[in-house]
Amino acid sequence: MFEAKLTDGTIFKKIIEAIKDLVTDVNIDATPTGLSLQAMDSSHVALVNLHLGMEGFERYRCDRNLTLGISITNLAKVMKLVNQNDSITLKCEDEPTYLTIVCQNQKHDRTTQFNVNLITLDSEHLGIPETEYTSEITMNSGEFSKLCKELYALSETVEFEISTTFVKFAVEGEIGSGSIKIQTSADEAETSRPEDTVKLSFALRYLNLFNKAYSLSNQVKLSMAAETPLVVEYEVESLGTLKYYLAPKITDQT
Amino acid sequence: MESRIAPKGTGGATSIDEFIEDVDVEDKAFLIEGRDLSGKTNIRRPPAPQVNAKEEDFIFMQIDTDYYSQVAPGFIKNENAQHDTPIIRMFGITKNSNSVALHVHNFTPYFYVKINTQYAPTLTPEDLLAIRDVLNKLATPQTSLEGAPSIPVKAVELVHEKASVMHYQQDKATFIKIYTGLPRYVNQLRTLFENGSVSYRGSAGMFENVTYESNLPYALRFMIDNEIVGMSWIRVKAGRYRLRERSERNCNTQYEIDVQDFNDVECLPCDGEYSKIAPLRILSFDIECSADKGKFPVAQTDPIIQIANIVKVHGDTEPLVRNVFTLGTCAPIVGSQVNSYRNEQDMLQAWRDFVLEVDPDIITGYNIVNFDFPYIINRSLALHMNKFAMFGRVNGTYSKIKNNTFSSKALGTRETKDINIEGRVQFDMLQVILREHKLRSYSLNSVSAHFLGEQKEDVHHSIISELQAKNEFTRRRLAIYCIKDAYLPMRLLEKLMCLFNLTEMARVTGVPISYLFTRGQQIKVASQLYRKAAEHDLLIPVDKQHISGDKYEGAVVIEPTRGYYTDPVATLDFASLYPSIMMAHNLCYSTLVPPHKVKFYKQEDLIKTPNGDVFVSQKVKKGLLPLILEELIAARKRARQELAKTTDPFQKAVLDGRQLALKISANSVYGFTGAQVGQLPCLPISSSVTSYGRVMIEATKEYVLKKYNKANGYQFDSQVIYGDTDSVMVKFGVPTIEEAMKLGKEAADYVTQYFVQPIKLEFEKVYCPYLLMNKKRYAGLLWTKPDKWDKIDAKGIETVRRDNCGFVKETVQSCLNMLLIDRDASKALDYCKGVISDLLQNRIDLSLLVITKGLGKKTESAPKPGEAAEGGDQKKPPAAAAAGNYHAKQAHVELAERMRKRDEATAPTVGDRVAYVMIKAAKGSKGYEKSEDPLYVLQNGLPIDYQFYVEHQIKQPLLRIFEPVFSNAEEKLFHGEHTRNIFVPKMATTSGLGKFAVVKKTCLGCKNVLANNTDVLCERCQTKKKAIYIERKQEMSVYEKNYADLWVQCQRCQGSLHEDILCSSRDCPIFYRRVKAKKNLEENREILERFLDW
Repeated sequence: MFEAKLTDGTIFKKIIEAIKDLVTDVNIDATPTGLSLQAMDSSHVALVNLHLGMEGFERYRCDRNLTLGISITNLAKVMKLVNQNDSITLKCEDEPTYLTIVCQNQKHDRTTQFNVNLITLDSEHLGIPETEYTSEITMNSGEFSKLCKELYALSETVEFEISTTFVKFAVEGEIGSGSIKIQTSADEAETSRPEDTVKLSFALRYLNLFNKAYSLSNQVKLSMAAETPLVVEYEVESLGTLKYYLAPKITDQT
Repeated sequence: MESRIAPKGTGGATSIDEFIEDVDVEDKAFLIEGRDLSGKTNIRRPPAPQVNAKEEDFIFMQIDTDYYSQVAPGFIKNENAQHDTPIIRMFGITKNSNSVALHVHNFTPYFYVKINTQYAPTLTPEDLLAIRDVLNKLATPQTSLEGAPSIPVKAVELVHEKASVMHYQQDKATFIKIYTGLPRYVNQLRTLFENGSVSYRGSAGMFENVTYESNLPYALRFMIDNEIVGMSWIRVKAGRYRLRERSERNCNTQYEIDVQDFNDVECLPCDGEYSKIAPLRILSFDIECSADKGKFPVAQTDPIIQIANIVKVHGDTEPLVRNVFTLGTCAPIVGSQVNSYRNEQDMLQAWRDFVLEVDPDIITGYNIVNFDFPYIINRSLALHMNKFAMFGRVNGTYSKIKNNTFSSKALGTRETKDINIEGRVQFDMLQVILREHKLRSYSLNSVSAHFLGEQKEDVHHSIISELQAKNEFTRRRLAIYCIKDAYLPMRLLEKLMCLFNLTEMARVTGVPISYLFTRGQQIKVASQLYRKAAEHDLLIPVDKQHISGDKYEGAVVIEPTRGYYTDPVATLDFASLYPSIMMAHNLCYSTLVPPHKVKFYKQEDLIKTPNGDVFVSQKVKKGLLPLILEELIAARKRARQELAKTTDPFQKAVLDGRQLALKISANSVYGFTGAQVGQLPCLPISSSVTSYGRVMIEATKEYVLKKYNKANGYQFDSQVIYGDTDSVMVKFGVPTIEEAMKLGKEAADYVTQYFVQPIKLEFEKVYCPYLLMNKKRYAGLLWTKPDKWDKIDAKGIETVRRDNCGFVKETVQSCLNMLLIDRDASKALDYCKGVISDLLQNRIDLSLLVITKGLGKKTESAPKPGEAAEGGDQKKPPAAAAAGNYHAKQAHVELAERMRKRDEATAPTVGDRVAYVMIKAAKGSKGYEKSEDPLYVLQNGLPIDYQFYVEHQIKQPLLRIFEPVFSNAEEKLFHGEHTRNIFVPKMATTSGLGKFAVVKKTCLGCKNVLANNTDVLCERCQTKKKAIYIERKQEMSVYEKNYADLWVQCQRCQGSLHEDILCSSRDCPIFYRRVKAKKNLEENREILERFLDW
C-alpha cells in the first residue's frame, strides 16, 4: 500500500505542469523513503529528474518499492481539478492498476477523488553519474526565464560562458549576434566557485521548457563542466529537488 | 559484423568436401534454368541462306524503322544524286532468325498548307514553281560534308481532293503539298508558315498560318503512307529489291537490301502465320563497377569489373548463352561461361565483340538506359577506347549519350538518357515497369519479389570493391550476383509478357516499338488518327494554340449513402463507357459543327450534346474517331474469340496481348481529345463525352428507382447507394445473392434499351457484404456467380494506395478480410486492438513502417525566373504552381536532402521513391524533421515515433472502415486497456544525453531499481528467481530460433550456406527483421549473463 499526502497540493500541480511539455509517459518510483521520477524527452537530449523526500509530506507510507507508469498528459488534465490551497493525497494498492488522487480543500468540506489508469512502460532507468562541476551559478529564476525567452527570439542556441568574474550568454543567428553579460559582483547573479572558464552551447528550446518550473522556486542553480550536460536545478521547498539535464550542443549535431 | 554472433552450425566451409557440397547448393538456382552452358562457343546466328532476288519474295519481321540522310548509292536511281537524301532504314529478322537491314529510297518528306479560298482557283503550275522558289529563298539550306547543299523544297503540288479534319465540312479545300529535300526542312518551313513570313504576290494572305501533317516523324510518315505498323511482317516482291554486295555493305546484318521504290515495301496483315513473333534474340546484361568505399562509382575513375550476359532466343525455353566477363581471375561457375581478363580494356573489347557476335535484336536489363550503357560508354572514353562504343548494326556509327527530360502527366518528370543503338531495341525493364505498374519500390529486388516471388541478395556497392580485391572465390561470388542481376530482367520480361504485349501494342497503334518506351501516350492515338484520316482524304492540322486553363467538368459521382451493407449490392457498369459514347453520338473532329454554322444544317441531321456542342449525325457523315473505335472494338472481339479457340501458348499470349492493347487504345482516344497540351486537343469532344456520362448515370438511377419498387410489385424498394463515372450500385433489397444477380441482369437489360447503340449497361458483379466509406472509397466481397465469392474488391483504400506504410496496408487488409469474408465485426475490432497494442510496444517490424514517396523535383534547383512570379497564380494547375521548388517542406524531400549530405551516392534522386520512417524527436518538432532513412535508423538504434503511426497512419483508415460498422469506433479502437502498455525506446548511446547517462540495472521481476548494480533481482523477487530465470531462458531460445531462421532464409536467398551474409537490401522485410532479431538476441543475452554469477 502506498499513500502520500501533501498539504499544499499546488506544488505537485506545478511540478506536473513543469514537466508535461518535456515528457509524455513516465514511471514514478515510490520507495519507502520518497517519490522519484526520472525520464528522458523523446529526442534524448534532456532528462528530468525529480526527487521528493518523505519528510516533506504530511503523511507518507510506502510498504514496498512500486513503479507507477503514468501518462503525464493525462495527469496534467487531472491536476486541473486541484484548486489553490487544496491538499493532495496519492494512493494505490500494492499491485496497482490505477492511482487514486484525492484533493481536499482547507475547510475539509469538499473532496475530489479521481482514479488515473496506470500504464506499463517498458523503459530503462537512467541516471547521470555524479560529476564534479567546475562552475556553478545561482541566479533569480524569473530573471533566467526572461533572459532565455528573449534570447530564443533571436537564436535557437545560446552559448554559456562562465569565468571568475562574469557569466555571459551569447547568441548568434540570422539577424546578428549579441550577448548578455552579468558581472559576478552584481546583485542578481553570483558565482560561487568559478575556477575555470567554461564555454558550452545549449538549445534554447529546452531551456525554455525547463523554465516552466520557475514558479516552484525563485532561485535556479546552473551547474556546468566541460563536456558534460548542464544541470538546471530548482529547489522544491522542504520536499526535494527538480533537476533538468541538458546535453551540450556539439557543433556537428543538431 | 554479422558473423559475430552467427548462429550455431553455419560456420564457413573448411574441407574440400564441404566446399564441393557448397557449390552444389549454390548453383541449384541456375541449374533449374537448364543445361550447362559453360562450354558454349557457337553463339552466332544460323547462316543466312542464299536468296535469289529475281525470283523470291523477301519477307521479314521489322523491329525498328528509322532514317538517315546520305547521298544515295550509285546503284539507286535518284533524281538528285549529288545531294543528301533521306533514306528509310528498316531492321528486322527473318523467320529463320537471320538479321536484315532494308534501305528504302525515294520517299520524299512532305507536308500541306491550305490555300485561302479566294486564291485557290487562280493558281497555275507556274505559280507553284514560283512558290517553290520563294520558299527555297526563305529556307536555310543545310550543308553536308560530302554532297552539295541540299535543296530545301523539291516540289510544290496542288491538292484539291483533301479537307481538314477539323469541323464538319461538305466541300473539299485546296492545299499545296510541299515536298522537301530532307525531313528537317519540314520543321523549318512549318515555322515560316506559322509566323506568316511566307508571302507570294506581295501578300501573306494566300497561305493559312496553320500547316497540315507537318509534325510527324519522317519514319512514321513513311510507315503510315505505306500502311506499315510496328513489329509487323514486311514483304518485298521478287525483282523489286537488290541484295548488296559485301563491298557495298554498311550494316553488320546478314542481309542488306535496297528497295528503289518505296511503294514496293508492303506490310503483311498480322494474321495467321504473320501474327507470330520472329525468333528474336534477347540479350540481358548487367555490369558491376568497383568504387572507393562509400562512394558511388564514377565512370571517369572507377573500373567496370564484371559484365554478366544472358542471351535467349524468343520462343526457346532455355537460354543460348550465359556468361560473365570478369576483370581478374574468377573461379568456375557451374553452367556458365567465365571469361577472365587481366585488364579492363581487353575485357570491354571482348564484351563488345561478344555483343556484335550474338547480334541481339532486343537488349534488356535493369536501368540499362540510364546507368549501364552510359557507364560503359563513358568508361570507354575515359580509357581512350575511341573506336569502342559500336553496339548498333550500322558500321562506324558509335553510340552516344544524350540527356533528355521526359515529362508527362501520367508519369511525372524524369531525367533520362538517350543512347543510340541502331537496329536494336532497348527494352529497359525498369522503364517498362515504371510505365505500367504502380509499386512502392522500383528496385530490381522488390520488383522481382513482387512479380516473380523471388528475392536476390543486395550487395551494397561499398562491399563490391572488397569482394573484387580479395581472391577468385570472392570474385566468383560477385559474378553469381551479377549473373542473377542479368537473369532477373529476362525473367521479368517473360513473366510480364512484355514482348507480346508491347509487340501487339505496336501493331495495333502502328508505331515502332521503340516509341512505346520513349514517347508518351499521344503518339499512339495520333498514329491511328493519321492513318484513318488518310483513308478519308482528311488532313490533320498542326495547331500550336493550346487550350489553356479552363478545365471541363469531369465525371459525376452519385453521393454515396455510407454504411456497411450486409444485403447484396448489385453493380451495373457501362461497358467501355467513353468509347461507346463517342460511337453512339458520332463525336469526332470531323463531325463537329461550330456554333456559327449550326443554322446551315437541318435539325434532324444534328446531334446536340448535353454540353451544348453540336455534331452531325451518323447519317450525314460518320466520324473518324467512331470509326477507329469501332474497328478497335471489333478487332478486340475477334481477338478474344480467337483466344478462346487457340491452344498454342505462344499464340494465346499474342492474342491476349492484342486484346489488351486494343482495349487500352480504345480507352486512350478520349484522353487524346482532352489532353490540354496535346497534339490535337478538342474540348467540345471531351467535354461532351463526360457530359453524356453524367446524364447517363443520373438517368440510370432514375430508371432503376422508377421500376424496381413496391408499387411495381417488387418485394422491396430498391435504393441507389452510390454511382461513379461508369457504374451504379443498386441495393435491390433482396436478401440472397442469386436474387440480386437476377434482378441486376434484368435491370441492366432494361436500362440499356433507353440508350443509343452501342452503349450497353452490363451487370457484372454483386458485392456482399459491401462497405461504403466515401466517394471512391469502398470495399466489398465480390461475387460473379451465386455460389462462391471471387475476391475482395477494394477501391481507394489503403490496401491499394502507396503513400502509406505496409503496416497500414496489412492491417486494413486483415480487417477487411474479417469484416467481409468472416463477417465478424468484433473479431476485426479485437484484431485491430491487438495491432495497436503491438505498435505501442514496438513489436511491429520496421519494414512494415516504411513509408515511400516519389521525389518529384530536384530540391536544389532554384525556381526559374518567371515561374516564381507566376507561382501565386490561382488558375494554374497545381503541378505548374508547384514547379520550381516545393513550397512546403515535405518529409521525404527533406530527408532526401539530408541523405544527400550524408552520402551523395546512396541518396535518392529525382523520380526515385524515397523510403523513410518517422522517428521520435523533440516535442513540437515538425513532421519533416522526424523522417529518417530506415537503414540509418537501424544502424543507429533511433527510436520510432509510434504515436505518429497511431495518429497519422493507422487512425484514419481504421476509422473509415469501422465508422460505418460501429457508432463509437474511435473510442473502441484507440482508447482502453490495450493502449496502456507502452514501449519506451532504449537510449541511444551515441547522441544527446545518451553519451552521459548510465542505465541503472532494474530488477528483472518487478522493474524496480536495484541498489546494487550486480544484483539481478530485488529482494522481494528473489523467491521467484527460478521461475524468472526459466522464463528468460525460454525467451532466449525463441529469439535464437528466430534469428537462426532468418539467417538461414538469407543464406538460401544468397544461394550459399557457408558464407557470411552481405545483403543489406532496403526492400527486403527479412533484412529488417534479421537486424532487429539480432538486436533482441544480443540484449537478451546480456540480461541472461547477469544470472551467470550464481
